[in-house]
Amino acid sequence: MLPPIRISLVSSDAQLISQLQLRLQSRGYQASAMSYADGVLGACYSDPPDLLIIDLFADGGAGTAIIAALRSDSFFSTIPIIGLVSPADHESFPWDTCALDDVVFLPVDFSEFFCRIALSLSRIKRIFDNNPLTRLPGNTSIQRAIEDAMGKPLAVCHVDINHFKPYNDVFGFSHGDEVLRMLSRIMFNAVRDAGGGFCGHIGGDDFAFITSQTQVEAVCRTIIDHFDRIVLDLFDEATKKQGYYNGTNRKGEMEKIPLLSITIAVVSMDSDKIRHVAKVAEVAADLKRRIKETGGSRYMVDQRSN
Amino acid sequence: MDEKRNELKKIIMNTKTLPTLPGVINKLNSLSDNDKSSVQEMARIVSSDQVLSARILRLANSPSYGFYRVSTISNAMILLGVNVVKSLALSSSIFEIMEKDSVGLWEHSLGTGVAANLIATRLGLPEREEIATAGLLHDIGKVIISLKCSAAEDEVRRVIKEKHIYMREAEQEVIDTDHAEVGAWLAKSWFLPDKLSEPINCHHNVEASENHRIKTAVVHMADVLIKASGFGDSGDDYVPRIQQAAWDALKLNDQIVAELVEEMEDKLVEVKNFSLELQQGANAAPN
Repeated sequence: MLPPIRISLVSSDAQLISQLQLRLQSRGYQASAMSYADGVLGACYSDPPDLLIIDLFADGGAGTAIIAALRSDSFFSTIPIIGLVSPADHESFPWDTCALDDVVFLPVDFSEFFCRIALSLSRIKRIFDNNPLTRLPGNTSIQRAIEDAMGKPLAVCHVDINHFKPYNDVFGFSHGDEVLRMLSRIMFNAVRDAGGGFCGHIGGDDFAFITSQTQVEAVCRTIIDHFDRIVLDLFDEATKKQGYYNGTNRKGEMEKIPLLSITIAVVSMDSDKIRHVAKVAEVAADLKRRIKETGGSRYMVDQRSN
Repeated sequence: MDEKRNELKKIIMNTKTLPTLPGVINKLNSLSDNDKSSVQEMARIVSSDQVLSARILRLANSPSYGFYRVSTISNAMILLGVNVVKSLALSSSIFEIMEKDSVGLWEHSLGTGVAANLIATRLGLPEREEIATAGLLHDIGKVIISLKCSAAEDEVRRVIKEKHIYMREAEQEVIDTDHAEVGAWLAKSWFLPDKLSEPINCHHNVEASENHRIKTAVVHMADVLIKASGFGDSGDDYVPRIQQAAWDALKLNDQIVAELVEEMEDKLVEVKNFSLELQQGANAAPN
């Protein structure tokens, strides 16, 4: 049996919340109730629900703040959110800025309520460009983001992991997946802490991020520093000390495989040379070829465009 | 008698959060957003608090993220991100009952973490931060017992007074288990890595530690030295001997221990100041 779908209810109206909770539970959902005082955001972070239902009537802006915070982190932004709104507010409600997936008017009509929940849950499965492993946006979004960045003082960066395939072969896919998830978080947090930008997962061990040209080198250094630190957690003491482990290379021969590291190729977007999305990948690939595998994590900025 | 044990185990499996001291929360609250120095300060505050550290490690190791063995606060902060860590910290509920006892235990935990770090550094051991974290968390079981079975906790305190025995022995008498085992249950149900759960589980029985004996030995020794120094309050006033298994695992001699004690005494003055600072913060803030 599948585990029950977990729904979090947020409202300061105790009566409404217990009523909704009861109804949801009777439908087989696992519903947990929170009032605004309970640190809703922390609860969502520590135990992400499958769906969030949030009462936006007379909440004093707390609800919209929670929604904005969840939407700003790719790891949580895919949680469907249904807002409970008073029909009297339908004109004044900030539909454009408050990123709801759906709305149910108060007082709640339960047959509609359950339909909207079912639809929200099924929609998330359909419109999911995000990579299921890392939850970062996939290629469609990456293409669009690069197009938007063209001609602006931004830098598109391609990240890939060195010696990832032999790591996967030796330690297994689940550990390989863990590395991909770790890199995605490190990248996302570094870009966000530098003032924001875009992060995407091209596929396999290839990632892309976009940030301002003034910040890009600092972001690269942070990502490399954090990745190199996290990597130490993945190997045992003996392996760390000798700096390699034994595995088979592409030709099937036994070889000493170095510890994981990353390569970042940085392409500036305000260069005349970059007129097409495909050109970005080409320049990045060319850069990576020039970053010799000297071991260790490296980043390189495309100099020809300056 | 197994009933009590099973009941307690069930409670722990359902424990998702534990309260933190108000001073710690207020201090975090006062940090400004998006400031590099405050990120480091945040890491320092978080890694001074055993409960907060445990919660953040629980999140980093929870199956929804898919990381398997995050064992230090700095790595958890790298992976979760500053915003997530801060929101999680600020959403902790606050210890209201037994304020004074909690401060004593908090100081004991912090002191043990600091001492474990010193020992690991002095002996040149790898994974110092992990060892310090294990030291910080070693008595997390006491937090749970006092929180989830306060009646039993009162009884434990009464038995200690009456029979003059170690807290662990009193716990065995009253709840049929002890804080080390309870702490390890929590660590397991929160998916914390073995290098943390094993020292928690075996810090009173180093010999039972199979895979992480060195880490366990350091935590055991740190716990004993902190009790001997009189820093904080671990629940009873009796100082056990450093176990032979720890002595062997760490290849100790009298001189090393004497030097460590001296080094530790200096460091504890700093720790005490930090603790007082946090407590003042707690009193100054309106509730």
